[in-house]
Amino acid sequence: MPVRIPGIYIVLGLVLTGLIHIVAVLTLPMLAPKNAHARLAALGPANTMIELPEAAPGHQVMPMMAPDVRYAFCRFDLANGPVRLKATVPDDLWLIALYTPEGDNFYSVAGADMKRSDIDLVITGADQTVEEAGVDAPESSDEVVVVNSPVTEGIALIRAPLVGPSRSARAEQALKTTFCGLYAKAG
Amino acid sequence: MTSALTNPPFVLSSAATTRREEEVSHSMRDLAYFIGTFAVALFLGIGSAWYMIEYGLPLTTTKVGPWSGWDSEGKPDADPYTKAHVARSGRLPLSSTVARYFMARTDSNGHTLTSSCEYAINGSPINARWWSIALYDEYGGLIENPTGRYSFNSEELLRHSDGTFRINLASKPRPENWLPSGTEGQSLILLLRIYSPRETDSLGIGLVPPERLPKIERKSCQ
Repeated sequence: MPVRIPGIYIVLGLVLTGLIHIVAVLTLPMLAPKNAHARLAALGPANTMIELPEAAPGHQVMPMMAPDVRYAFCRFDLANGPVRLKATVPDDLWLIALYTPEGDNFYSVAGADMKRSDIDLVITGADQTVEEAGVDAPESSDEVVVVNSPVTEGIALIRAPLVGPSRSARAEQALKTTFCGLYAKAG
Repeated sequence: MTSALTNPPFVLSSAATTRREEEVSHSMRDLAYFIGTFAVALFLGIGSAWYMIEYGLPLTTTKVGPWSGWDSEGKPDADPYTKAHVARSGRLPLSSTVARYFMARTDSNGHTLTSSCEYAINGSPINARWWSIALYDEYGGLIENPTGRYSFNSEELLRHSDGTFRINLASKPRPENWLPSGTEGQSLILLLRIYSPRETDSLGIGLVPPERLPKIERKSCQ
């Protein structure tokens, strides 16, 4: 005799499947303890530029890092005011990207899109303005890019793609001169 | 009369017991159905979520031959599946408006990439500021090799006069562009990262014409 499953259970099953599916999709990002933000946060203090070691077998901060890109990052924390990022970009290929802890890339700029090779970027929080940080009309304001961050804490990641096999030293040298710190302190 | 007096209560109580037993067995059956339904829903709900986050659907990904790329990767307004995928991957991808990533776990015929086989990766120029093909093991780690070669990018690749190129993916040294696949028997992943693609769609997402993604041809196996 075939087992008859009452229709109500099929409906209930479908509704439950849908609910469990939605809960799983929404909670999975939070249940990923080794996301990129957690991996980078373990490497050093906030508001400091930290160079990532060159990716090598068995030595990668994040999985699937590019072996032919050199990286430096700054974990910015806007709790004590805006954070400033300064870099002298040696070529068109450089990419500066800002991320939320969940990995949303909310801002990015490529070397090729900049008018000048020096970039001066100020990251502000939702209720902060650059004026509030104690400096009004910083320098001539067209030289400073102000980016409003949707999060108080996040990551600024600089990518320096290599233009040739022997160019890594040059990229690493250029990354060393980048700066990240509290806006007021930097003057 | 006595029996008539004693009997009815007995009959009544027996009927009540049967009914109670029936009720108990009914509610037991209901409980079993409910637990069963819940177990199936748990399996299907989590299973479908996992599949859609790990592999994606046509709605969230672009699949061209062996290559698969997430259309809204890194975008703040990405769908929850793409966001969960990025969080789980442990990567920090650029927004798809700035860069596109395409991953291949198989060759163009659908066979899993393995270091036991040798492949020819044939491609034509990609319209972007910079791009790179890198090789990883199945966990996303770089593969140890004597030449320290883990990838080829647009700046260093040897090309033919018509702009096309061929990368030889093999564990033994090969001429031209040799991408070493390490010791035999491990599964491989190729990741093509394309920075600043020059074409975009109406949403600003980087566009790579399907025929520009390289073909991965299996040559021989050990």
